[in-house]
Amino acid sequence: MTTVVRLDGVRKEYGETAALDGVSLRIEAGEAVAVMGPSGCGKSTMLNLIAGLDRPTAGLVEVHDEDLGKLNETGLALFRRRRIGMIFQFFNLLDDLPALDNVALAAQLMGVTARQARRRALELFDELGIADRRNAYPATLSGGERQRVAVARALMNRPALLLADEPTGALDSRSGEQVMDLLLDLNQIGQTLLLVTHDRQLAEKCATRVVEMADGRVVV
Amino acid sequence: MRAVWRAARAAVRRRRLQTFVITLVTLFSTATIVIALALLDASSAPFDRAFDAQRGPHVVAVYSSVTPAVATDAEAVAGPFPQVELDVPGDGGPVWVTGPITLVGRAEPGGPVDRLDLFAGRWATGRDEAVINLDPPPAGMADDFTREIIGRTITVPGRPVLTIVGTAWSLSHTADVWVSPATMASLRPTGSQVLYRFTGGDRPVPPEGLLATRSYLTQKAEVAAGPGTILPFLIVFGLLGLITAVLIVANVVSGAVVSGFRHIGVLKALGFTPPQVVLVYLIMVTVPAFVGAVLGTVAGSLAAKPLLYNAFLGLGLDPQVTSRPWVPLTGLVGVPLLVVLTAVVPASRAHRLSAAEAISAGAAPKAGRGLRAQRALAGTRLPRVLSLGLGLPFARPGRTGLTLAALLLGVTTVTFAGGLAASVIRYTEAVDQADAVQVQVRPNPAAVGSTTSQRTDPQVEALLRGLPGTVHVTADLSMPVSAAGHVEPLNVDFLRGDADTLGYQDQLVEGRWRSAPGEVVASSAALHHLGLAVGDTLSLSYDGRHEPVTIVGKTMEGGLGDGDLFADWSLFTALAPGHRVVNNEVMYWIRVSGDPGAYLSAVRAADPGLSAWAAGSGLSNSFTLSVLAISVVFAGMIGIVAALSVFNTVLLNVRERRRDLGMLKSIGMTPRQVVAMTVTSMAVLGVVAGVAGIPAGIGAHRLILPMAGAAAEIDLPARMFHVWNPGGLALVVLAGVAIAVLGALLPARRAARLPIAEVLHNE
Repeated sequence: MTTVVRLDGVRKEYGETAALDGVSLRIEAGEAVAVMGPSGCGKSTMLNLIAGLDRPTAGLVEVHDEDLGKLNETGLALFRRRRIGMIFQFFNLLDDLPALDNVALAAQLMGVTARQARRRALELFDELGIADRRNAYPATLSGGERQRVAVARALMNRPALLLADEPTGALDSRSGEQVMDLLLDLNQIGQTLLLVTHDRQLAEKCATRVVEMADGRVVV
Repeated sequence: MRAVWRAARAAVRRRRLQTFVITLVTLFSTATIVIALALLDASSAPFDRAFDAQRGPHVVAVYSSVTPAVATDAEAVAGPFPQVELDVPGDGGPVWVTGPITLVGRAEPGGPVDRLDLFAGRWATGRDEAVINLDPPPAGMADDFTREIIGRTITVPGRPVLTIVGTAWSLSHTADVWVSPATMASLRPTGSQVLYRFTGGDRPVPPEGLLATRSYLTQKAEVAAGPGTILPFLIVFGLLGLITAVLIVANVVSGAVVSGFRHIGVLKALGFTPPQVVLVYLIMVTVPAFVGAVLGTVAGSLAAKPLLYNAFLGLGLDPQVTSRPWVPLTGLVGVPLLVVLTAVVPASRAHRLSAAEAISAGAAPKAGRGLRAQRALAGTRLPRVLSLGLGLPFARPGRTGLTLAALLLGVTTVTFAGGLAASVIRYTEAVDQADAVQVQVRPNPAAVGSTTSQRTDPQVEALLRGLPGTVHVTADLSMPVSAAGHVEPLNVDFLRGDADTLGYQDQLVEGRWRSAPGEVVASSAALHHLGLAVGDTLSLSYDGRHEPVTIVGKTMEGGLGDGDLFADWSLFTALAPGHRVVNNEVMYWIRVSGDPGAYLSAVRAADPGLSAWAAGSGLSNSFTLSVLAISVVFAGMIGIVAALSVFNTVLLNVRERRRDLGMLKSIGMTPRQVVAMTVTSMAVLGVVAGVAGIPAGIGAHRLILPMAGAAAEIDLPARMFHVWNPGGLALVVLAGVAIAVLGALLPARRAARLPIAEVLHNE
């Protein structure tokens, strides 16, 4: 089994507060890991460190054999492009671009032409069942549709690791169910998934392993 | 009220960068406004202001009686001062006091009327001492003047020799030379000068014994040509500076309030009443604006002083005139008032919105703006980062419009200033013949203490031609000659030698240089005065002899001493065959190869009776200096203010799009790409401003330059206008882009360093 994520003794401090206090964790390829815990336990912080959105105060964060602590900002940006797909609670789509262009953007940053990027995006839209919404602007999409667009964007560059931070947090129950099913399907075809959630139902449905956190530490 | 003040203070502290930007923008804008208004103030009635500053006489009256009757309705009277007219021979004194001059006996330069500006040396208090009337020199050249003039003498046969001890300036030109009353007694005065100052302009003066009067209006008309040359430039720069500064203050301040809508909504949600919320924001923008206005007023007033000095010098007026109190007052009070007004408009919008509406209005720009543009750009082959950047300005069209306007004015000013500077330099080089003449030589006049040359005029020319390094020599004899049908004599430059190499052809506006004995070339001012044109004939006469001439060409300016005509030496021989040329009457223009300094030494060594000096570069000319200084200052100031406008716009755009930027970075946009995207959004405005500003600047140049020329009665040849080439214009476009890029760079780099996790979490 290939280790996709490796955290060793990771510490993250904000001032005098330790958001993470010596966290160690391994995620193997093909796993779907759900991280759960009360608010402020450090789960989103850990997700940010794995995504290269933030830097640890101490410890090792290695993703796909890449030591993120050794990368500068440009290196981290390139790492995110190639290795990571992120899904946010509040979607984070660009309001000025239609859905298709929002998704194509992720590939175009890699230097892919607009035509090729749109073609790939359309494939994903078909798979996710939102092809008829490709020219709609985010403001006109439902929550569930927006999240599926966000999932498509996250999958554009075929990431080694899909990270989802409260993916159903802003959705109604029906849309949430649909997104849960989507993530489950992705994991079943081999996508490695790290999921931060309050939703016990989501965790039990989608995850092959649940990690519990409290006070900046992994407790289970 | 305490809560309002606390909230405002907290907002100022929290938005340190915005507070700093408001302070900086109002500082530069106020300084620009103060300088602009100072120049506009200078351009409004400059003669009247200089005239009042010197308490000039509305009427200069000359009486035959020593004690003329008093005008009882005069506001002030000075005199009677004894006066006499003398004719100083060509070799009787410095060039400024030869020919017919008026000498007046005065005990002091001050008094109730006609307060003279004694700018070099001292007043003539002793026997046979004189002070001559001259225009003040450019800043920093007073010492040269002193060395050149003080100590020289004025010699008129049959009169005491006068020694020059000082130079003074009278705008009203009440005399050519002043002496002490005791000295005047020995000069045998023929009349009394009385200077009258009235309320509301000139009035009739007592007629008993009155020989002549001159109204100040005559002087005003004569002086008006000088100020008229520079006034159009002052007005254009003044207006450009004013409009740009006002536009930018409005953009910055309204942007600051709009970007605070969310904060306003939160304050309302906490319980602040709408008037309290508006007050918080007015305080938040007005306090740094007032600080900026105070600093800017001081800076602008200090910067305006040397500009005003040179401008008034260029106007031919008293350079000590300062701007009136309303100018700094406008900076101190007007700019904060402008800030309040521009803040009130968006603040009152927030006043009307509910808390929830204000909070959501303060989020990123309304979705829906610029969609078509973004869509079109997404389909292009441009790198995605650049196409994203190009679409950003469409999201905030109002803010983009104001920023574009500021950039446009910046480029227009740079274009206009560049063209103006090039034209002025080209004009000055043509007039001063910098390429054609490097050395001027003139034999010393016969005077006590002066070494004179024993050589005749032809011998002087032969000597100069024989010196190593001499390339061309032209002899120039300037003298007044009568013209049939015209009251005033014409000053004619009779040229001998290598006259065709003097470079006057560069000054030709129309026609050609003369090539035959009966041909003359006239200055544009002369043709205006004479009512003649190229191709017309003229009959010149001197001492009873008449010679017809044909005007074959028109130059911008005339020769020595504001000459009217250029003619061949043969015409002088024909008109005045019996005239014995005193060698001091002739100026020699010399082109040299090699070091002019060494040549000067060689001339003096060959004949100590010859004065030789290096021909000026022309750039010391006060008019040229004034125009160049004003051009550089305004182009620089407006460029800085325009860059600050871009800086502020990008700052606000980045703040509003923090979430979007965080998202873009999270999906892999590198810091360099963030900078490129942000800078591109403004660079495109720079290109648009560059392209549109060029025709605007060229148009202003083409409009203003002829006005300046017309005021100075100088016709300008086409080459004075054709000062741009494609390379130069490309530089101007680049200047627009450079201003935009420089303004955007710092906030773009800030955007690149946004902490992604923090931004996405908070937004």
